[in-house]
Amino acid sequence: MKPLFLFDSISRRAFVERWAKTTLGVTVLHNTSRLVSAAETAVANPTGGPGFGKAKRVIFLQMVGGMSHIDTLDPKTGETQGPKAPIKTKADFQLGGTMTNLAEHADKISIIRSMNSKTGVHAAGQYVIRVGYEQRGTIKHPILGAWAQHFQGPSHATLPASVCVNRQPAAGNGFFAASFAPLPVLEPEAGLQNSTYDTTDDVMQKRLALLNKVDAGFRERFQTAGVKSYTEFYDNTVKIMSSDDLKAFSIADEPSELREKYGQNKFGQGCLLARRLIEKGVRFVEVASGGWDMHNNIEEGMEERGTELDVALGALLQDLKDRGLLESTLVVLCSEFGRGPKINGNGGRDHHPKVFSTMLAGAGVKGGFVYGSSDARGEMVADKQTTIQDFLSTIGHIMGLPVDEVVMSPSNRPFTVGDKGKVVVDVLA
Amino acid sequence: MKRSSLVLLASGLLTARLIAADAATESVDRTWHDTQGRAIQATFRGIEGDNVFLQVANGYVHRIPLAKLTAEDQKMARTLKPAGLGIPLDPNLAQAAARIDTLVNGGLTKAGQQPNPLASDEQFIRRVYLDIAGRIPTKDETVAFLQDTSEKKRAKVIDQLLDSDGFSSHLFNYLADMLRVADVAQKARFYTYEDWLKDQVRKNVGWDKIVYAMMTADGHLLDNGATGYLLRDAGMRLDNLSLTLSTFLGANVACAQCHDHPFAEWTQRDFYQMASFFGASETYGVKGAKGGSQMEMRQVLRSIDDKRLQNAAKNIMRVNAMEIVDTGANDMKLPDDYKYSDGKPGDMVKPKLVTWKTEDTRLKSYQEAGNTIKKEEELRDTFAKWMTAPDNPRFAMTIANRMWKRAFGVAVREPVTDIDDVNAASNPPLLQHLAAEMVRLKFDMKQFMRLLFNTQAYQREATSYELADNAPYLFQGPILRRMTAEQAWDSCATLVVGNELDRYKANRGEKYAAAMKIDMSKPAQIEEQIRNAASAMRQYGGGKGNPKAGPAARKRMAMKQAQSGDDDTVESTPPMRDGLVLARASELPQPERDQHFLRQFGQSDRQIADSGSDEGSVPQVMMLMNGDAQRAIGSNESLVVQTAARAGSPEGAIESLYLSFLSRKPKPDELATAKESLNSGLTLKDLTWVLFNSREFIFVE
Repeated sequence: MKPLFLFDSISRRAFVERWAKTTLGVTVLHNTSRLVSAAETAVANPTGGPGFGKAKRVIFLQMVGGMSHIDTLDPKTGETQGPKAPIKTKADFQLGGTMTNLAEHADKISIIRSMNSKTGVHAAGQYVIRVGYEQRGTIKHPILGAWAQHFQGPSHATLPASVCVNRQPAAGNGFFAASFAPLPVLEPEAGLQNSTYDTTDDVMQKRLALLNKVDAGFRERFQTAGVKSYTEFYDNTVKIMSSDDLKAFSIADEPSELREKYGQNKFGQGCLLARRLIEKGVRFVEVASGGWDMHNNIEEGMEERGTELDVALGALLQDLKDRGLLESTLVVLCSEFGRGPKINGNGGRDHHPKVFSTMLAGAGVKGGFVYGSSDARGEMVADKQTTIQDFLSTIGHIMGLPVDEVVMSPSNRPFTVGDKGKVVVDVLA
Repeated sequence: MKRSSLVLLASGLLTARLIAADAATESVDRTWHDTQGRAIQATFRGIEGDNVFLQVANGYVHRIPLAKLTAEDQKMARTLKPAGLGIPLDPNLAQAAARIDTLVNGGLTKAGQQPNPLASDEQFIRRVYLDIAGRIPTKDETVAFLQDTSEKKRAKVIDQLLDSDGFSSHLFNYLADMLRVADVAQKARFYTYEDWLKDQVRKNVGWDKIVYAMMTADGHLLDNGATGYLLRDAGMRLDNLSLTLSTFLGANVACAQCHDHPFAEWTQRDFYQMASFFGASETYGVKGAKGGSQMEMRQVLRSIDDKRLQNAAKNIMRVNAMEIVDTGANDMKLPDDYKYSDGKPGDMVKPKLVTWKTEDTRLKSYQEAGNTIKKEEELRDTFAKWMTAPDNPRFAMTIANRMWKRAFGVAVREPVTDIDDVNAASNPPLLQHLAAEMVRLKFDMKQFMRLLFNTQAYQREATSYELADNAPYLFQGPILRRMTAEQAWDSCATLVVGNELDRYKANRGEKYAAAMKIDMSKPAQIEEQIRNAASAMRQYGGGKGNPKAGPAARKRMAMKQAQSGDDDTVESTPPMRDGLVLARASELPQPERDQHFLRQFGQSDRQIADSGSDEGSVPQVMMLMNGDAQRAIGSNESLVVQTAARAGSPEGAIESLYLSFLSRKPKPDELATAKESLNSGLTLKDLTWVLFNSREFIFVE
């Protein structure tokens, strides 16, 4: 049978509808059970093949506020150009003038220049780019890290499967258990919150021993899942706190030259922390950079945020390469939307969801590759429109997730990784 | 088995028809005789003074002068150990509670299951404090109850707690999660809504009246807090309706908003017909484009030259513009992607009420709605009257089912937002009866909870096994529950400051409204008004809260916000320890900031309805082990530490801590273990840490 992604859009829709009818009627077990996947009857998106499962780890760089595509990944000339002229790169495409470090790594990256979003509002846009679904008052959707934990289990004996750096994870577990939520690290320098106790090791040992005795009767009497899970959380926490794994969170242990290379700012150090974490066994690390809402003075904004991004991203790609991790690590760069071609009265650019760019690098993707395009002004999609759902499905695919498999939420509603997006096969390698 | 018997004196209310109790084997349930030879089959509930309390099979409890019983039965009454919950305060209430017990026991019997034994006084007191007042009892409160020898003490403490501030605070927390009450939404502050809701709860206004007021509220958010429910979702009336139907009617229609419901009978057209009741009402939120105060607002903005002030003015005018207006013209249309054959995209939709059964349309509420359904200016009112009517097929049942879940940990029909199929409930007759009781009690939530707390079912031991996913739970007793985030936080604060906790009330609404309200009728003074509002607004951290504020700034803000209290009985500032504001969760920011104890412990972020979580996580456990709360509890200023230290002996101190944290005395081996650890280098502070981190502390038996 012809893989579904080769069908035209109408027959694809017909297929999805038919498939939905057959699966939606199925009675499922309570709580996040897995349904028979479409893959068993037909293939909507490829499982296996190029890129599939290449990424054992993901570093997800999130530019909060709306990163201007024109000043970074999709440079233009003429009146929409902005403060800096495009620059040449190691590959056969250009980048925004601020991206001088990234230009040196252009051979390692794929850019999607035909992204398109339905929302131009920050919070709603951020929600969609992280989970693929629109925000609702009735359910929360999981981020990719939580999806991966659902399909692939934990990524390490003690370390969490997902970590969220420089931002609140906002319940990224979605409808999965709370243990699927990314662990937040709000300050990369400070590491994990509340991870050190304010007493001596000796006293803590005695406290824990006493706690074990004091609580034994209750644990024996109430052998419920709730009580057991708390006991597990205590065990895990004590394990993490007393193990060397906690050091994964300590960027102070990195050589100072390397820390310098990433840039001495929250985002740069966050990227360094991300590398440490994935190296030690965390599967999915999101690193956020705020301040991209450049309505005013985009020149100054790009000078600050843009340079931070460029420096950190260059250092990260180099560092991963040097350690032999780039082949198994996917680095993602994205934002909730782009910014418009017009420089406004305050020297800034306004929200622009109609077209924008994202970047993928490392595991499972081609290097030096551009997919899709915007028009000459960077205003509309010119070719190969790519939705956020397509984008997230592509990442899920590279992570080896069955993106077409329907999972029922505890409220019995059907969901898939990336909300039935179409994997962008062209960028896979 | 029916049988007639001679009726004892006591009250004329006693009916002749008595049904022998199922548990006739217990000696406390026996035939009693009076001196005139009359007999009654009844359960011995206790003796107080010169009266004996006997419960007959229909649940009514009779008070009978001891002297009127035969000598043999008098002797019996003096020696028997009372069964059940002791002596009730209100015989009618006892009868209503017994009716519920009969239905619960019926469900259990049918499934061949036994109820759990009655909970001990220690289990009971901790549970009722947490369930009614939202916090654990202090050591003194526990000891007072345990030492009380009255047979009426359980009923008494229930009544006392139902009348405490804690009851209102705890119920508000529940409703705030259910209704997604948040300080900041639509870039405005919803303090007036919070205060309105708290006031309704405090006055114990009927649930039907509260909901009716929310559905029909008019005017500005700053003037009328009741508008907060609809304005919370300003400009998103479909989402709002979807929540309204699932929250208040247990109708699962989220799917039908976008397509026909795949499992239930709801169609997308049904949904839009319901939405049509809101088609003639405009909620002007931040983006309300036309009408309302928006035109005036733009004029005001244009008239201001100062750029910075103009920005502040935008925010202030936005808050002033939050308003609900009835337009009188219904504009509800089918959506652009409508794909069913019974209509075309963009077709106007006429309002029509959903039914659960075809006969529903014969109900009075449907008939009455039919009389006004054509009046477009009364659409919301028509809907609200129908929805909150006593004979609405699901309104009373939904809130009754929710309140049952609050008491027992599991609803009769789960999930509470989807009770379309009543027969799928674990005990359908029980659910029907609870709905009828809610109507009988006129939607008085306090009375309804009083009824549930006085049942034997509630006062049994917590079920200790894990519930199977698919097997219905039939209420052998309440299930073991983890404290809600709010219960845990309020309990932590109780450990540190005791019942001082309730003296601080936030009361932010009136002050915020006064500061932000711009009087448009005085055009000459508008700029001055805006300047004043702008300076007041800084205190609230601008338009979108102040997430970046450090502990010091938060403290200042909390102090400032608190300083408005004119009422002498209310503290103007909450107690502060180690940077923590030790006030009730209901008086803190809604919701708290992300890193706060409340959020770490599962407080809802108020984006999703009913989303408070009782799950653990590694960061949460790290917080319990190493965070601010354990530090404040173990500090020398903390009430538990001071109370324990006053005990004088190590044994006394340990017992005091056990009573404070777990509402019980330590068993001999526990005492020995704790004493041993005090001898080997641990301190009282360490013991507080251990008890605080025990599963027994965070779970409610």
